[in-house]
Amino acid sequence: MVKRWLSEYISRQRLLAKSVFSQRYLVIDLELTGLDAKQHEIVSVAWVLVDQQCIKLSKAEHYINKEVKQLEQSPIFHGIAQQEVAQGQSLSDILNKLSRHFDDAILVFHNATLDWSFLKCAFKAHGISAKPKLIVDTFQIEKKRLLQQGQEIALDDLTLSACRARYGLPYYANHHALTDATATAELLLAQCHHISCANELKLADIVKVAL
Amino acid sequence: MNNEQQEVAQFVIAQTPFSQIDSSATDYFAAHLDSIYLTRENQTQWLQSASPKLFLIRSGLYDLVDAKGDVITRLAQGDYFGFPSLLTGEAIQNRLETQKEGIVYMLNQDAFDFLRREYKPFEQYFVRAHANRLLSSHYKSQNESWSERKISELMSRKAVTLAPDASIRQTAKKMKKYGVSSIMITEFERLVGVVTDRDLRNRVLADEVDPKEAINSIMSKKPKYIFENNRVFSALHLMLKHNIHHLPVLDEHHKALGMITSTDLLRQQKSDPVQLIGRIYKAHSIVDLKRYAAEIPELLRGFSHNIDDISLIGKLLSGLTDALTSRLIHLFQEDNGAAPTSFSFICFGSQAREEQTLHSDQDNGLLLPDDLSEAHQDYFRRMGEFVCEQLVECGIRRCPGNIMASSELCRMSISDWCERFFKWIKSPTPEAMLNCKIFFDLRFIEGSNSLYTSFCEQLTRISRDELFYAAMASDIKSTPVPIGLFNQFKLEKDAKQHKYIDLKKRGVVIINDIVRLYALKAGVRRANTQERLDALLKYPQLNNQDVYNLKDCWRFLTQLRLRTQINEEGLPSNCINPDKLNSLERHQLKEAFYLIKQAQQAAAFKFARGSL
Repeated sequence: MVKRWLSEYISRQRLLAKSVFSQRYLVIDLELTGLDAKQHEIVSVAWVLVDQQCIKLSKAEHYINKEVKQLEQSPIFHGIAQQEVAQGQSLSDILNKLSRHFDDAILVFHNATLDWSFLKCAFKAHGISAKPKLIVDTFQIEKKRLLQQGQEIALDDLTLSACRARYGLPYYANHHALTDATATAELLLAQCHHISCANELKLADIVKVAL
Repeated sequence: MNNEQQEVAQFVIAQTPFSQIDSSATDYFAAHLDSIYLTRENQTQWLQSASPKLFLIRSGLYDLVDAKGDVITRLAQGDYFGFPSLLTGEAIQNRLETQKEGIVYMLNQDAFDFLRREYKPFEQYFVRAHANRLLSSHYKSQNESWSERKISELMSRKAVTLAPDASIRQTAKKMKKYGVSSIMITEFERLVGVVTDRDLRNRVLADEVDPKEAINSIMSKKPKYIFENNRVFSALHLMLKHNIHHLPVLDEHHKALGMITSTDLLRQQKSDPVQLIGRIYKAHSIVDLKRYAAEIPELLRGFSHNIDDISLIGKLLSGLTDALTSRLIHLFQEDNGAAPTSFSFICFGSQAREEQTLHSDQDNGLLLPDDLSEAHQDYFRRMGEFVCEQLVECGIRRCPGNIMASSELCRMSISDWCERFFKWIKSPTPEAMLNCKIFFDLRFIEGSNSLYTSFCEQLTRISRDELFYAAMASDIKSTPVPIGLFNQFKLEKDAKQHKYIDLKKRGVVIINDIVRLYALKAGVRRANTQERLDALLKYPQLNNQDVYNLKDCWRFLTQLRLRTQINEEGLPSNCINPDKLNSLERHQLKEAFYLIKQAQQAAAFKFARGSL
């Protein structure tokens, strides 16, 4: 037990010492019916792979959970209607597809606390063991950066579009999970570029969230 | 499953060419993209020749820079790049410099090729964009100033030669064996003739000549040729002017080295001044000529941009003026009937020396046979007036001193011309000296070459006058070089108290004058200063070291004159403030002036000993 923990710890430390620019990332975005992982549901899941600083748009994936019971306010927000839900896939299928990438990629979320808590619950509920090797959170990166610059942070300063605007990234009107996953991937690359200031940048420098 | 990237697709369909073609093209494009965040740090890793890609800019600002570091264009949202390599398969020549980092979409070759195949407008858009890129970047990158290159650099084939006593059949066999369309006929390694495929057809087959006969009976004797050290530009000009497609290349000892063909040269060029000269020589109307002439300034701007040898600009402009003049003479004869007698249209001064600038004015004249009838004189008067007037229309200014074929004083019979020169030679007043400096630089443009040659022979004879040389030498010495006693620059001041050195008046012109004097003495019939110096290597008047020194000085000063074009202080043209030079250049400039001073004194010593 201790041995396994130790070996995990060591491989994690090794990973953290690596450059942020040469990694594979799996950038994930979820659409949810609410904010509570215990009672709300996942509507859709999208992910896009970033390899060696290249966002593989052509290999992005997006699935709607056909088992979703209540859409609450989200249909207007996410633009997903009931009939689209009917054409979706079962959550366990989606989670299986997703977890296949966990071994060779670092997970990226914008606000991992929320999305990862939903995913963790879902994996557990479906009996799928999914252990990400590392999670990077663009929300936390931005928060740390703003704090270091001595700025006060208002509530909506850390939304995905507010963060993107700070780096001059294009404004995306729609909030499709796939768009947001891509938008988060772009944000990650922009953040890494700006934090590195043309110097080396290690994963440890941008990872703050403990597993 | 719904993998559509809505934001990407919305953006793409708003861009040309996608806005004009079926939305299925956009869908395909968007579905095959990758996206990068392009920064100064990673800009080089994406433009790899091994895997060319089409790039479409979503955000950010980037400069497209050519191999020499000049910015071709600035790229922003909606601009594409990378397509030239995708279209041509050639290695990537340009690079990117990020001004503001951002998102850039990438499409790989396979997807690009698919879209080209499936959607004609897509194909057309990028082919046209590629052509425009070539035009806008002009000589800057792709062409790598091809016409400045030496002939020897693009002559790949070895010389295929035969002796003049070989039979026609042997010639044809040798041409077949080497797979060439032309062959050089040489005697003791010297070129005596050329035979082309066309000659074998026209002069042998069509005329039923016996193939056993010697080749020298049908070869083109005294063919035009070019030296290996000449520029590609000169070769093209020769070919276009004489409508020949094969040009023998000789080394400086006139040994035949090989042949270049018009195809060899055309492969080098894309679009440029030489094509313009070609078009001018073929123009069918004055309207066409004027249109072509209007392109000259723009063409030159692009050309001078990264030219290493400024003397080429003078050559180029003189070439263009020659072409315009000669075409105008043809057009005049088309409307007014062929010239009733032989004539030579000649040019003087900077055009003859091939040192023309965009601001140079006309210096030309007509050389006519003696004893012309009134009617004939009238014909040539109209020709002179027509040519000069139309040249003005084409942007070459009237000569303020009226040295133009439209003026009676410059449209004379050989005897009258000789008399005019003779007067200047015999009474070397300052005004006569000034005329000599202009008129003794002369070059044939159009008409009868033999008339011109016989005039030159007479001119050489009458100018062989020691007193005249002495007068010229002391005139040359009267222009002081701007170097003082203790090797300090002597600066001139203008009304605004700017201090400067006039590189043209106190440098280039003095060299031109000195070289002209030696050339007259040696009987060298060239007008271009560099060519005169090359020719003078064979004569004893000037030792070779002096020739090389003068050549270097001339080149250095002309090169430095380029600077005066980017003149931030508002100095007069051709002037330079030596304080703006670096210490090496200052040293070189002093050295140059010192050498000129020595040459001035040497000329005065050689030619004006008696009169000083």
